[in-house]
Amino acid sequence: MSNIVFDAVTRVFRRDGKDFPTLDGISLEVRDREFVAIVGPSGCGKTTCLRMAAGLEFPTSGRVSVGGKEVTEPGPDRAVVFQQFALFPWKTVWDNIDFGLRNKGVLEAERRRRVGDIITLMGLEGYESAFPHQLSGGMQQRVAIARAYVLDPDVLLMDEPFGALDAQTRTVMQEELVRLARKNPRTVLFITHAVEEAVYLSDRVVVMSRRPGTIREVIDVASVRQSENWDRLERIEEVMDQDSFVHLRTRIWKLLREQQAPNDH
Amino acid sequence: MATARSTPGGASRGRRAVWVGAAAFAVALVLWYVLTTLTGVIGSARFPSPPEVFAAFRQLALDGYADGRLHQHVLHSSKLVLMGFAAAVTAGVPLGLAMGWSRRVEAFVNPIFLTIRPVPPLAWIPLAIVWLGLGDAAKVMVIWFAAFVPSVINAYTGVRSIEPYLLEASRMLGVRGWSFVREVLLPAALPHIFTGLRLSLQASWTTLVAAELVGAALGLGKVLNASAQDIFPAMILIGMVFVGIAGGVMTCTLALVEARAAPWRQG
Ligand SMILES: Nc1ncnc2c1ncn2[C@@H]1O[C@H](COP(=O)(O)OP(=O)(O)OP(=O)(O)O)[C@@H](O)[C@H]1O
Ligand SMILES: [Mg+2]
Repeated sequence: MSNIVFDAVTRVFRRDGKDFPTLDGISLEVRDREFVAIVGPSGCGKTTCLRMAAGLEFPTSGRVSVGGKEVTEPGPDRAVVFQQFALFPWKTVWDNIDFGLRNKGVLEAERRRRVGDIITLMGLEGYESAFPHQLSGGMQQRVAIARAYVLDPDVLLMDEPFGALDAQTRTVMQEELVRLARKNPRTVLFITHAVEEAVYLSDRVVVMSRRPGTIREVIDVASVRQSENWDRLERIEEVMDQDSFVHLRTRIWKLLREQQAPNDH
Repeated sequence: MATARSTPGGASRGRRAVWVGAAAFAVALVLWYVLTTLTGVIGSARFPSPPEVFAAFRQLALDGYADGRLHQHVLHSSKLVLMGFAAAVTAGVPLGLAMGWSRRVEAFVNPIFLTIRPVPPLAWIPLAIVWLGLGDAAKVMVIWFAAFVPSVINAYTGVRSIEPYLLEASRMLGVRGWSFVREVLLPAALPHIFTGLRLSLQASWTTLVAAELVGAALGLGKVLNASAQDIFPAMILIGMVFVGIAGGVMTCTLALVEARAAPWRQG
């Protein structure tokens, strides 16, 4: 059982001797095997939330726990897809993906199978021995995603993982992620700026206010997905055509618009 | 992938640069010949003519000069440089890495380091002579000081300039201990480390020649010193040329090692 619990979390950053309250009383539970997306204005603290779940950042007050245990350090049970990819430039695509498994002590034969599978899944065949700088931004991002997936973690923390992809690849990756999430559900915290992506992928969408970030509203998508039976539809554009989808999307759009600062067009 | 930067225009520009360089060399050689041998505008006591330089080269290579033949001098100097350099970087690079990684090591070492750092390497020569005499050990010690400082500073900078998100990624992936040093810290700092090695190597040669000028049994510095005392400009020139060649060969070797050690930086 691996849920993520934010319990009255605040975070104040200090810069130039001044306090910058960044998160203000975040309480949220991402349930076991639930897919939750966070949307919100830039700088509202989305990445900070995700980093807290990862153990790379800590609350000023309140508590963050995963699977009932307070988060104190990062670990491969909570795989992160970083906003800046964070691939190792000196490792090949294969070695980047393999690295986490190797550190976990997974046996050679199994590693080879798992890394090979994920490389196929991500469409990276033929690039196994390439270095990150020899890949396009979109491919680098796929390696970063593969590096997290391959760990088969209880919790996936994804910070705008499709941000650098072109529209077509992005669509493929979204469909792939949905397929994966259905087949092998796990707890996912997913940050995005793309509202449609959030609605398409998640069980619930969290809309945050602008800084200091609070939770403005939590929108339940899963119940609509079920009652409208979106899963019968193969392709993302068919889902996006549904009135129920459009309705949710527009509602989130409006909430986000309200968060826009007056001078922040 | 290595061809990414050498566009057709780039290649022809590169070839043109070679030709321009060769032409400049040719002009300089002709000028040298005209000014010395042909017209005698520059007297041979000030600057030697091409035939004199060639004769000096023959003499040094075949008969020997200053107690040794060319290859003996070159090998001796190179050996001292390599010894001092190797001893300095095997101490300096790990120390720099440790200082970059651990605030505690830095706090402990930095005061000492900052104290010796401003001392020019050549200022160690008298102390080295008092301690170790005029022999090779004193020279190695002085080279050690010269090569030590840049290797420490650059290894330190290398660690400090690692992107924080790479460190976070490696924590997420559960890298620990020796594996972290070998697979994250070292490669991440490698470009800076090699910059340090290059600077250390240059400093080693500079220092060696200076140290040999003070007194030596063998070596290129001794050739330079002896030829200055003999007022033998052609031999001085040969000595200088071979200091340049020996240093250049080592620098090129280092560049090859770097290309081998950091294949991801190619192309
Ligand atoms: N280590 C830090 N020190 C000081 N301030 C920080 C630090 N990390 C984040 N902040 C500040 O906290 C705020 C929230 O940052 P965060 O990265 O969480 O935003 P975000 O919602 O992910 O934005 P974006 O959508 O642009 O990625 C920003 O104003 C940022 O400047
Ligand atoms: Mg962010």
